[in-house]
Amino acid sequence: MSTAALVHVVVSGLATGSIYALMAISLVIVYNATRTLNFAQGEMLMVSTFVGWTAHQWLRLPLPLIMLVAVVAAALLGWLIERAVIRHSIAATHFDVLIITLGLSLVLRAAAVLAWTHDEFPFPSFFADRPIALGPVRVAPVSLGIIGGSLLLMLALYGLFRGTRLGRAMRAVAQNQRAARLMGISVERVYSASWILAAVVGGIAGVLIAPVIFLSSKMGLVAINGFTAAVLGGFGSMPGAVVGGMLLGVIENLAPLYLPSGIKHSVPFLLMIAILLVRPSGVLGRARRRKV
Amino acid sequence: MRARLVPFLVLLAAFAAAPAGAQQGVTDAEILLGGSNSFSGPLAFTGEQMTKYGIDLYFKVVNDGGGIHGRRIRTVYYDDGYKPQEAVANTKKLVEQDRVFAIIAPQGSPPVVATLGYLEEQKVPMLFPYQSSPVTRGKKYVFQGMTVSDRSSVMMIDYLAGQRKYKRFAAIYQDDEYGKSFLTAFEKDLGRHGLKLVASESVKRGVTDVSAQIAKLQAAKPDVTFLVLVPGPAAQALKERQKIGWTTTLMVSTGPLTDERYLALAGEAAEGVEGLSLWPDPLTSELPGVKLYRQHMQKYFPKNEPNRYSIAGYFAGMLFAEGAKRAGRALTRDSLIAALEGIKGFESGILAPLTIGPDHETQKQGFWVRVEKGRFKTLTDWLKSE
Repeated sequence: MSTAALVHVVVSGLATGSIYALMAISLVIVYNATRTLNFAQGEMLMVSTFVGWTAHQWLRLPLPLIMLVAVVAAALLGWLIERAVIRHSIAATHFDVLIITLGLSLVLRAAAVLAWTHDEFPFPSFFADRPIALGPVRVAPVSLGIIGGSLLLMLALYGLFRGTRLGRAMRAVAQNQRAARLMGISVERVYSASWILAAVVGGIAGVLIAPVIFLSSKMGLVAINGFTAAVLGGFGSMPGAVVGGMLLGVIENLAPLYLPSGIKHSVPFLLMIAILLVRPSGVLGRARRRKV
Repeated sequence: MRARLVPFLVLLAAFAAAPAGAQQGVTDAEILLGGSNSFSGPLAFTGEQMTKYGIDLYFKVVNDGGGIHGRRIRTVYYDDGYKPQEAVANTKKLVEQDRVFAIIAPQGSPPVVATLGYLEEQKVPMLFPYQSSPVTRGKKYVFQGMTVSDRSSVMMIDYLAGQRKYKRFAAIYQDDEYGKSFLTAFEKDLGRHGLKLVASESVKRGVTDVSAQIAKLQAAKPDVTFLVLVPGPAAQALKERQKIGWTTTLMVSTGPLTDERYLALAGEAAEGVEGLSLWPDPLTSELPGVKLYRQHMQKYFPKNEPNRYSIAGYFAGMLFAEGAKRAGRALTRDSLIAALEGIKGFESGILAPLTIGPDHETQKQGFWVRVEKGRFKTLTDWLKSE
């Protein structure tokens, strides 16, 4: 395999990996605040991307506005789901909520099929598919664009968590809900904000990846790799989610380069099992010790 | 004890309901046909177009023209959503409750395979199933609809290795029955030309990135790369090729893929892709049968745009009508089978003149096309598969 091809495959893997990372981040945001896994994350992404696309079909909006529509739709959906469903199950066990989100994912997918059929649709892209040459290496602007866009979003999230009152409140709730409440933080507001924020991250990821994997009611499946990425990096850790996502994207691409391509889908899971055996808390996860 | 009597009574009732001599599904005034098809699930668009806007379109024309030997044709369809177990239940219902004369144009290999044994056992004709696996061969009551994958392969390889003199072939294929049936056939037909596949890479459904597969194929330097995929991954593969600027291979899509929906997904990355087309372009072809099809569509369903699936259904309706006409007023299942087997050089105005014969295959030829400015441009006349 030539170096140029290798570089392309790695860059392409980093691009898909960025999307996995964004999915992992959205899952972690909800998990840290509410200790529940949101199985509907992928379907929320799918619905918001479809809404953006519909706006494009009707009004011929330019792409930045489509992104905006998708993000607003995602935020509304996140807010609505949290308000209408999740908050009412605040007293339920984590397992119950998990099943609720699983049910939500099925409902959202069925609704999307009714509204937008089973078809796959092309989605407009910010970036071109035609390669640009950097010396002997050719890279596709679309891959670089996805990586760049994702990194910017990650930086913005970092800023939000470190520098704002809301970010600090969210981190406080993640650490200790009771203590946070005693400090006067509105846990309900943090719940709501977490769902909205996670949905927005998903909404942006959806618009970035839709030109590559096409828009369809099945595109939410990309969230499954987000779960793997989050576990790889150490569930609950944001930098871990980023590292896990990138690692997963690259390995998923490198493995079939050297092994039969049928194995592509099993390698990440083999790796995940291996990492969990050696480091049960994930690559960057902090080992949790609970005092008895 | 009484419970044991029930099956016996049901059987008795069944005999009573079918007086000797009359054929199930055929009355003095009507022929009843049925089908299990996809009206939900991944092939819903295809199913709806093929049945309601294809088969039924042709039957509307026939019925408005006085029917066949004075009988009108009526159809009943149920949705199986591409699920084999649903297809079995639907088919049994059609045969045992609706008491149809024959099953027409069921869709997809898994549902069709699941019902083959039952229909053959019941001696109910399965007419023109829309799927490409060769599993339907050698059955007395089955007439295959779509071109079988090994026939497509013969036409593709003979054209590319024979006329076009290409030497190095590779394939990227769907990791399932569809992909593998083509791969096996390609290997066999390349063997006849003293060639073999220089590389083959598999893709699973729902894949997000095919860059590694395309990179490996490029490294093998094939003249021709076959795409044996469903539209989504195929469009991804074409875009991936564009991303790495790989221009030294001819991309060739398999028969079922030569369809406009896939062009729309791949956009400009589809330019220059070639393939075997099984149907003339329903929107632009000047063949007399296709023009007539467009007129009929305009008359009965003016809002529905002509497409390959509805024309496939329309053709299935036409073949049934031709068989039933030839079978005469005393239409039975066996006389229909004999009539269809006797079709020689039938001019549909849509496909090449058709001779069915004992192989029970109704579509044996295709022609070569290339994508130019987003439409398929015809490059050859009908290619031969035998």
